[in-house]
Amino acid sequence: MTRAQFKTSVYLFAALLVWEVAGRSMHAVRDLIASPTLILTQYWTGADLYVPHLLATVRSAAFGFVIGNLVAVAAAILFCRFPAAETAFRGVNIALFAMPSIVVGPVLALVFSDNLPQIILAALVVYFPTMAATLVGLRDIDPRLLDVIKTYGGGPDAIMRFVRLRSALPAILAGLRTAAPLSVLGAILGEFGSGVRWGLGSFLLGSLGDADPARLLGIGFAATAVAMAGYGVFAWIGRRTLGASMAVTIAPERSPDQYILWPEYSWQSNAALFSVAVLLPFLLWWLILRVSDISPIIAPGPVETLRHLVSGPDSADARAAMLAALGQTLPLAALGLVCGIAAAFAIAALTVVRPAAAKAILPVAMLLQSMPLVALVPLVMLLFGRDTAATVVMAVMVVFFPAYVMLAQGFALVPRPALELVQVYGGSRTSELVLVSVPYAASYLFAAAKLVVPRALLGVMVAEWLLSGKGLGNLLNSSRGLLDYDMVWAGAVISILISVAAYEAVSGVERLAR
Amino acid sequence: MVDEQPFAHPHELADLSIEGVSKTFRTRAQPVQALSSVTLKVRRGSFVALIGPSGCGKSTLLRLVAGLEEPDQGAVLLRNESPQAFRARGELGIAFQDPALLPWRTARRNVALPLQVLGEKVSEQQQRIDDLIELVGLTGYANALPGQLSGGMRQRVAIARALVTYPSMLLLDEPFGALDQILRRSMNLELQRIWMASPTTTLMVTHNIDEAAFLADQVVVMHAAPGRIVDVIPIPFSRPRAPALFAAPEFHAICDRLAAALDPSATR
Repeated sequence: MTRAQFKTSVYLFAALLVWEVAGRSMHAVRDLIASPTLILTQYWTGADLYVPHLLATVRSAAFGFVIGNLVAVAAAILFCRFPAAETAFRGVNIALFAMPSIVVGPVLALVFSDNLPQIILAALVVYFPTMAATLVGLRDIDPRLLDVIKTYGGGPDAIMRFVRLRSALPAILAGLRTAAPLSVLGAILGEFGSGVRWGLGSFLLGSLGDADPARLLGIGFAATAVAMAGYGVFAWIGRRTLGASMAVTIAPERSPDQYILWPEYSWQSNAALFSVAVLLPFLLWWLILRVSDISPIIAPGPVETLRHLVSGPDSADARAAMLAALGQTLPLAALGLVCGIAAAFAIAALTVVRPAAAKAILPVAMLLQSMPLVALVPLVMLLFGRDTAATVVMAVMVVFFPAYVMLAQGFALVPRPALELVQVYGGSRTSELVLVSVPYAASYLFAAAKLVVPRALLGVMVAEWLLSGKGLGNLLNSSRGLLDYDMVWAGAVISILISVAAYEAVSGVERLAR
Repeated sequence: MVDEQPFAHPHELADLSIEGVSKTFRTRAQPVQALSSVTLKVRRGSFVALIGPSGCGKSTLLRLVAGLEEPDQGAVLLRNESPQAFRARGELGIAFQDPALLPWRTARRNVALPLQVLGEKVSEQQQRIDDLIELVGLTGYANALPGQLSGGMRQRVAIARALVTYPSMLLLDEPFGALDQILRRSMNLELQRIWMASPTTTLMVTHNIDEAAFLADQVVVMHAAPGRIVDVIPIPFSRPRAPALFAAPEFHAICDRLAAALDPSATR
């Protein structure tokens, strides 16, 4: 144990002790956040509930993890080998990246039964990070190695076989590390939608009404522990297989623009590919329903869903309900987004002035970044209640951590000579910050914003669904209860479209700013 | 000068024939003419160095010979074949300034890579691979990973790899460009020893005057903007050339002549 680790452990122990003493001696504190031993005790007394709930979630997450990652790696190989395929699938990829996953659960629950919705949602959630990491790994190779292979007459297949696949291994493992906690989140969000008996998500839903802080926090910690265990397993495998040389820090996640290349075809084929990219998600939607032969009442296609909002018999009511929900959801998501990014930038900037503080915050932020956001729900509810404040806090928290990790990296990558130049002329830390670090790291603002724009919406919708009973999250939840299938589909599609549009808007502003 | 027959014995076999090759790269700012009607013939078994300032197209010329780029005009023929047909038989060997080794493969398996790409059985050529590792002076390091080797040793692995297919044409793109001056000289001696053990038609790109003068039979001097050949200077020293040559007055005379050809304004 190093000195720093020892210090951290001492602080952690002290904090737990304070929490315990306060929770035991003050009723107000106990009703808010229980105490460590109270939480541990209820694990013991509630073991008969925890074990089956936990196992159900782990099972769904594991199946989804395997399926989603196999598809992701295969897709990345296809996209690397045939760049046109990647362009054609761009719409699908961005939709999978930006979809607020909670909206997909109810839709899946309409079409599939038992544990399939959770498994499929877990697979959908892990697909993008693994695919993006793998694709970067496959592409980001030493160009001289390509020349070597070509000099011996080797083509793209030989390059794939001898260079790319093996080169991508660390990136694939990094992708799996990110994907492991996400699969747990996907399984839990799927449980919300499908309403199954067993699973940590069902457990949480069932316990929210009792408002027993020890139980709620217990579920939150259990979900976090499962997610972290998944992360830990792949971090360990990575270290074992790749040796000590590999970084063990959490790689920041990637947004689509960080890997998608627009191939330089003629404008006609570009336009054609672009149309395919836009139409393909809707085509797949239609095709899957067509092939699976599900009743169009439960599972309307793209045209029917559009009609529900535009020209159907109840379209006026549907539009009004949708607009009212959006009016509640979008301002809160925007507020959470702005506050989360601003806080992340400010604290990341602070680390330039106080590097010691940065060393302490970054590991915590990295840990919390991969915490399943539903695990935050109990804490947020206990501290902030169930209304607007709680919703905004949820959005800020899910935005803050990934944005902070990304921005801290931006600040860390400021070229040293640029900082030393300021020092040579007697500049203070503050002038380093103002003159060099902030302008450099500002370019990471866009990367961070693109990454977290969809999350802000997801955070708000999770809070609305579980806590406040307002907005789009609630609309989906209540439509599901009212068997208003058209509305479930419309709500899911609208929120995905908004998320994609917000992402594309940030990308557009970024392109203009450059 | 360009129009002269650029090698001493026109009746001998040309392994490499570059005929009126031009190449322009389109950049965002403006098109850059990397090569303008370059003609060069390289005799079988000779060692030719290409020398010139940055941007004179010497690396582009080498990449054209390797078939890694296509000329806009003119033709590159290796024993009357296209580079693509020639290299598909394993007749080309190549080494770059960066050794470009696969970091997860041992030295021995890195040397074997070209055989695998060509679809040959590596197990049948194990002896050849071990001989090459010995030839480049890496006995005892056959099972080391690139990360465990020094920069000079990695470059030796890359040279062994370039020789593993018994190439009839060896292309070297600043193979010692990343090494310091002292290590570079000892590697120059090593390369001469290796080359004399299996004389192969060799085209080497360098920007180092004494490296070119020490190793080559002929030095092709190039100028930039547009990239073109301005002179072909024969190097008369007999082989093997000893380290003492670096200090010899006739060696310095050649180097001065090369320097003058590279930058005529400096000697005026």
